[in-house]
Amino acid sequence: MTVQSVSLVIAGSGGAGVVTAGSLLLEAAAKAGWYALMSRSSGPQIRGGEAAAMLRFATEPVMSHDDSFHLLMAIDWENIGRFSAEIPLVETSLIVGDPAHGDAPAALLGGRPRQAGLAMTAIAEKIENGRPNMVALGAIAAMIGLPAEAMQAVVEQHLKRKGQAAIDASMAAFHAGIAAAADLPAIPKLPAVAAASAPRWSITGNEATGLGVIRGGVRFVAAYPITPATEVLEWLAPSLAKVGGQLVQAEDELASINQIIGASYGGVPAMTATSGPGLSLMIESLGLAVAAEVPLVVVDVMRVGPSTGIATKSEQSDLNIAVYGLHGDAPHVVVAANSVADCLFTTQWAVHLAEAMQTPTLVLTDQAMGQARAIVPRPAELSFIGQRLTATAAVEGERYKRYAVTASGVSPMAIPGTPGLTHTADGLEHNELGTPSSQASDHQAQMDKRSRKLTQFNYGDHWAEIEDAEAGAGDTAIITWGSSTGPAREALRRFSDAGGKARLISVRLIAPVQPEKMAAVLKGITRAVVVEQSHSGQFYRMLRAFYDLPQDTRSLHQAGPLAFGPGRILEQLNAWSS
Amino acid sequence: MESCAQTKKYAAKDYKSDLKPIWCPGCGDYTVLNAITRALAELALPPEEVAVVSGIGCSSRIPAYTSVYGFHGVHGRALPVATGLKLARPDLTVLVTGGDGDGFSIGGNHFLHACRRNVDLTYIVMDNQVYGMTKGQASPTTSPDWEGSKLTPEGTGINPFQPLVVGLASGANFVARVSSSDPVNMAQIIVEAIRHPGFSLVQVLSPCVTFRPEQAEWRDIVRTAVVDVTDDAARAARRLMTDDGFNVGKVLYKGNRPPFRPEFEQTDGSVAELEARFAL
Amino acid sequence: MTDSTKGGAIATVPELLAHALAMETEAAERYGELAVQMETHRKTAVAAIFRRLEAAEKKHLGEITHLCRNVELPHYAPWDFKWNGVESPEAIDTGRVHYQLSVREAILLAYEHERKAAEFYTGVANSAQAADVKALARQFAAEEQEHIGWLEAWLSQCGPGDAIATEDPDPPLGQE
Repeated sequence: MTVQSVSLVIAGSGGAGVVTAGSLLLEAAAKAGWYALMSRSSGPQIRGGEAAAMLRFATEPVMSHDDSFHLLMAIDWENIGRFSAEIPLVETSLIVGDPAHGDAPAALLGGRPRQAGLAMTAIAEKIENGRPNMVALGAIAAMIGLPAEAMQAVVEQHLKRKGQAAIDASMAAFHAGIAAAADLPAIPKLPAVAAASAPRWSITGNEATGLGVIRGGVRFVAAYPITPATEVLEWLAPSLAKVGGQLVQAEDELASINQIIGASYGGVPAMTATSGPGLSLMIESLGLAVAAEVPLVVVDVMRVGPSTGIATKSEQSDLNIAVYGLHGDAPHVVVAANSVADCLFTTQWAVHLAEAMQTPTLVLTDQAMGQARAIVPRPAELSFIGQRLTATAAVEGERYKRYAVTASGVSPMAIPGTPGLTHTADGLEHNELGTPSSQASDHQAQMDKRSRKLTQFNYGDHWAEIEDAEAGAGDTAIITWGSSTGPAREALRRFSDAGGKARLISVRLIAPVQPEKMAAVLKGITRAVVVEQSHSGQFYRMLRAFYDLPQDTRSLHQAGPLAFGPGRILEQLNAWSS
Repeated sequence: MESCAQTKKYAAKDYKSDLKPIWCPGCGDYTVLNAITRALAELALPPEEVAVVSGIGCSSRIPAYTSVYGFHGVHGRALPVATGLKLARPDLTVLVTGGDGDGFSIGGNHFLHACRRNVDLTYIVMDNQVYGMTKGQASPTTSPDWEGSKLTPEGTGINPFQPLVVGLASGANFVARVSSSDPVNMAQIIVEAIRHPGFSLVQVLSPCVTFRPEQAEWRDIVRTAVVDVTDDAARAARRLMTDDGFNVGKVLYKGNRPPFRPEFEQTDGSVAELEARFAL
Repeated sequence: MTDSTKGGAIATVPELLAHALAMETEAAERYGELAVQMETHRKTAVAAIFRRLEAAEKKHLGEITHLCRNVELPHYAPWDFKWNGVESPEAIDTGRVHYQLSVREAILLAYEHERKAAEFYTGVANSAQAADVKALARQFAAEEQEHIGWLEAWLSQCGPGDAIATEDPDPPLGQE
């Protein structure tokens, strides 16, 4: 079913409070029984820079932004032109600005949107302590059909500490906005919804990431701040303490990766979160974790690279470093979350994989999902708990072999403190005992086992999410991963609504590759479009290297921070079916 | 062999593995291994409750030569591994062993912050003023006019790093310098270092007989420091900045800073409580 | 640190036995370690010298262990022993061996330390008050004298080649 939704942007410069306004709107929408997704874009300033809150509301879960926005509510025009590419506007779109700040910049008018004025500043000035952003929220609420009671509840909650006068001032401005909206052109309204029947959560991708690793059993986190991963760590610091874990701020990423190696060697499941530059620094030690067989999880909340790149914006361009960045042959696991809510599933699964296989596991999320907040159905309880195969007692007359060659490739790990099983874990190539060895046979045997434990593991159905159009898969597939899954899923639904047949394959297990499973879901598929947000088509190239793809496979890739809207993907599907 | 009435629970050799060291004969590191094992025996620590962590270099081979739990990581990162291990497992006694290149060059930043953080670790640095594993290059502690390396045939021309002074300035809670020529004294100092809470730094003058054969003279140059231990870091630093680096055999500084432990909110909280915060 | 009167602080048989046990243990272990070092570096002739001495010390250690049975020995931390030097006198200082140690140099090193061991026991015998301590220390000194005699014999058997440092024309290798 095509999503019934309304999309809007609240934009403004420093002090306009657009992110706060967006958050209030999201919470009010949740109270009204709607689903929602909010992401944000901002300038480079620490404070006071231009900012935009992009919101989409719907009566069913939202996984992606739409191709264009119905409404741009601009509290002022300061530098908003910089966002123009991220705020696609079309002829049916409406720009509402404050006449006090002059005309809309030309950069926003390329799609010939309608324009209207709302004297937010003037209206707010008439109310004691009234603020223009609350006037804007009132107008928005009226225009999209959001009940005023929902906002009342949210404002009361937020301003409780500031007192009744503050609440009254905010609500007065809000109601003035509602009244003023009567003179504005219409945009689509969402139908009122009966109170949500099933429980819902309001969560960001970064919070879901933190919760996922705690659910999986992580109790030690080393942290070095980096945008856009910092919120994962900030959420974890107090939360870990509540469940008997700890977070330590490290001096750099080299330290954070090695601290978690130490903690995990000590038997405590451990993780860190970072972004591309930090991951680059951690790479050597990830190889150590491969060789020494130390389970750990590293979450990379991807941002635009290379180098410092665009720290505040999203790109799916760390796939290569995550898969191929380690020197030597270094089998490890790479998984990717495909939505805000899936950050929870994927990170919890990642802890399970890391512990079960005693291997470093990288999780790729990105700024778009990490810093986005969504109203989602309450995530399911998952059974994945990190469980490590340990050696607990010495066997009489047998020397403990930390790196014993086993059928599964996984060797029972003795945790320090266990009598009779002392050994040295080593990044030098070693024999089964852990003794350094430069012999070809030991290298071969250890490489074989490190590889085997990953290839023989049963990943179940979680390696990918597969979804077919109502009429079936037909002969067409969209293959994608990560954040591009949301728009791809919506494209499939629109195509399905129009009677089209296609299959969505969103790969969650990036490495090790699963050619047999992929072959099974590509059976009967003769054409495919590979969708990703990278300049060089990293995912497409990886698929080409490891999978038998249909003869007619197209690559739909573009550099961040622009994301594909569902429409671009739908265009390709439609082109094939016409 | 017949055994006699044992007065000690453990002997030094109980802490040695059966792996044969690859160090050059005459290397000071043999003595350090002996001193560490003697110290552990004297402390009567069960081998499974001790961990030795190292990075890369000749002296970083020590974990494999011991019978305790060991971790041999990558170059320069022993201190963070040990930090994570000790914080996750405060019940373990954690030693870190390594050389001057591993600790003060590639691992220099971790050294500063390990001193600052003051986790309860004992860091034993075998300082031979040279990179031995890579055939003899200048290290941070090498004198600027040493011309023995093909990489810096005219000498480095760079001021040598002063590990103990930097350690004091950064917050190390215990500072001592010993010589590999006196293993018994070294064992005694290592015992003190392990017993002292917080980050203990022990610099060992440990000659490299292969690439710095002239260091064989160190055994004749070193002298027992004629100072008493102080808890005044500035005083200890002043002494160290004016000595010639060969005053050994004494604990120079013992601080009173409490070791780092993250603030645990001792709690019976559950994951469900964390989840409840997201519920609408 | 050399203090020839330190041995005089040994007043009882258990104290002397504790010293003897530690000395022979460390001597046996040290000769073994040095043998391993030399074997690891393919210095087989020198390694053989250390192996023979290790065997002799192990035998000696066995005898002393036998004497210690049923005796409650006092505990000494490594730094509390009353040695005349920094370590137990019979253990060769590991810092004094080197890669190109000749057979003759190895014998001389051992000779030096066996003599120190004998001197230690003689010092105890001379300074102790108790007759049983004096007697036992003399006995131990005599046993060390036996080792010294062997080493003197080995020295006299050394040919000119045994005094030449072992050669290695290859340069050291880079490792990690």
